[in-house]
Amino acid sequence: MKLVVVSAGLGVPSSTRLLGDRLAAASAARTPADVQVIEVRDLAVEIAHTFTNGFPGRALSEAFDTVAGADGLIAVTPVFSASYSGLFKSFFDALSGTDEDALAGKPVLIAATGGSARHSLVLDHALRPLFSHLKAVVVPTGVYAASEDWGAEGLDGRIERAAGELAALTAGAATARPRPRRDSFEEVTPFEERLAALRPAG
Amino acid sequence: MQFGIFSVGDVTPDPTTGRTPTERERIKAMVAIALKAEEVGLDVFATGEHHNPPFVPSSPTTMLGYIAARTERLVLSTSTTLITTNDPVKIAEDFAMLQHLADGRVDLMMGRGNTGPVYPWFGQDIRQGINLAIENYALLHRLWREDVVDWEGKFRTPLQGFTSTPRPLDGVPPFVWHGSIRSPEIAEQAAYYGDGFFHNNIFWPADHTKRMIELYRTRYAHYGHGTPEQAIVGLGGQVFMRRNSQDAVREFRPYFDVAPVYGHGPSLEEFTAQTPLTVGSPQQVVEKTLSFREYAGDYQRQLFLMDHAGLPLKTVLEQLDLLGEEVVPVLRAEFAKNRPAEVPDAPTHGSLSAGAKAEEGAQA
Repeated sequence: MKLVVVSAGLGVPSSTRLLGDRLAAASAARTPADVQVIEVRDLAVEIAHTFTNGFPGRALSEAFDTVAGADGLIAVTPVFSASYSGLFKSFFDALSGTDEDALAGKPVLIAATGGSARHSLVLDHALRPLFSHLKAVVVPTGVYAASEDWGAEGLDGRIERAAGELAALTAGAATARPRPRRDSFEEVTPFEERLAALRPAG
Repeated sequence: MQFGIFSVGDVTPDPTTGRTPTERERIKAMVAIALKAEEVGLDVFATGEHHNPPFVPSSPTTMLGYIAARTERLVLSTSTTLITTNDPVKIAEDFAMLQHLADGRVDLMMGRGNTGPVYPWFGQDIRQGINLAIENYALLHRLWREDVVDWEGKFRTPLQGFTSTPRPLDGVPPFVWHGSIRSPEIAEQAAYYGDGFFHNNIFWPADHTKRMIELYRTRYAHYGHGTPEQAIVGLGGQVFMRRNSQDAVREFRPYFDVAPVYGHGPSLEEFTAQTPLTVGSPQQVVEKTLSFREYAGDYQRQLFLMDHAGLPLKTVLEQLDLLGEEVVPVLRAEFAKNRPAEVPDAPTHGSLSAGAKAEEGAQA
């Protein structure tokens, strides 16, 4: 089982990364998994260049391959200006611009950190629609951690519940998920079919 | 193998002086660049087609007709002709006319155009881009090969008993290239017809270009036009040269840093490492260009982008001197080495006419 964490935390150490690690550990405790972490911060320049150049650089391409090969994804972002961070969104914009079906059918656990609990609906108003658009299977429980949650009761329980749901989905998806789509270079529609589709009826 | 240049026709301020050429200056500069291409021994000049500022070449056959009258050998081409938003009937007429005026020194490259608003300006929809390219080209292909055409399709008003005039010179349609950067459907289209496939690789890493060309070559053979190695491939290139490579880097950097398309993005060094862009000595340009063969195979046409990003005309003409004197002769010699005999040259009016005559003779 391959589990990949995409963390958009900027600080070192980062509470966003910490939440991602906690979620990954809780998931791996249920279904043994090989966990890889992608720090979006390290890819910031290549992400920006993907938009100016039109293609991802080497390190970012590797990160995209890692995400594409994951059985389950944990996506964690800090809340900036009432939403996910711009860099977090840009990572997924660049990913879907390179391969629009990279997350199709993939179980994704969404999580966010913030300075207060006031933005906790960012999970359901920003992250969930984003990943639904990318055709991911979003885990029902998202985990939001405000500063005060790190010392309070409740966070552990939410992490456990979300991790359990992710583990169940990845186990199911590993058998149920359709074969990865072969890329457009491998499956060519024969030209006669394209011509025929344009011929007027009758 | 053919060597030439292709121009986007952008009107871009020179970042080192802040001066923007007038449209008239830019149009005349494109003509001067084309004439220079012939003077320094290049084979092809191709112009883009655009219908929005800051680009001037909206009327390619007007420009190419004028250049045809002032040149002797240069093949006049496009990069690209918009097969989506132009009426295929008008393309058939315009390029057949140009063929006659230029004594056959004409081919053209089909492209879709990626500027969304241009489509509705011409009554089309970018979401139908591939289908427009397929249907319009299928009609164009017939208009050049059948004297009287009855036709009905999805995008254009039907034709009954239509004859496109003038008929192609000597009954031989201009050779067609299909240009596409990302669409396997277009590589498939080029392969289906046995036409050429041009990959404008200048902003792309080699592995992407390699996959597009491999697909085209495989499908070319699938449709029975020859072996994969005999498919007709063209590539782009982008260079800036000075005898001393440090001078080239120093002079080109301010243009690179603010250039349209990639400006304000990666560094010159990163971009030259990842794409065909070469900024350096003529020898470095030779080495980089020869390396294209490693992933594209033996190919037929190499076009360089030389006149963009606000480079002044004087500089571009100096670049063409270097290209014609120090780069292309070496490339011709090197590309000819170990080139299998069965790999054809790019088709020309001469070779296509001879082929058509031989076929007639065989049938008689």
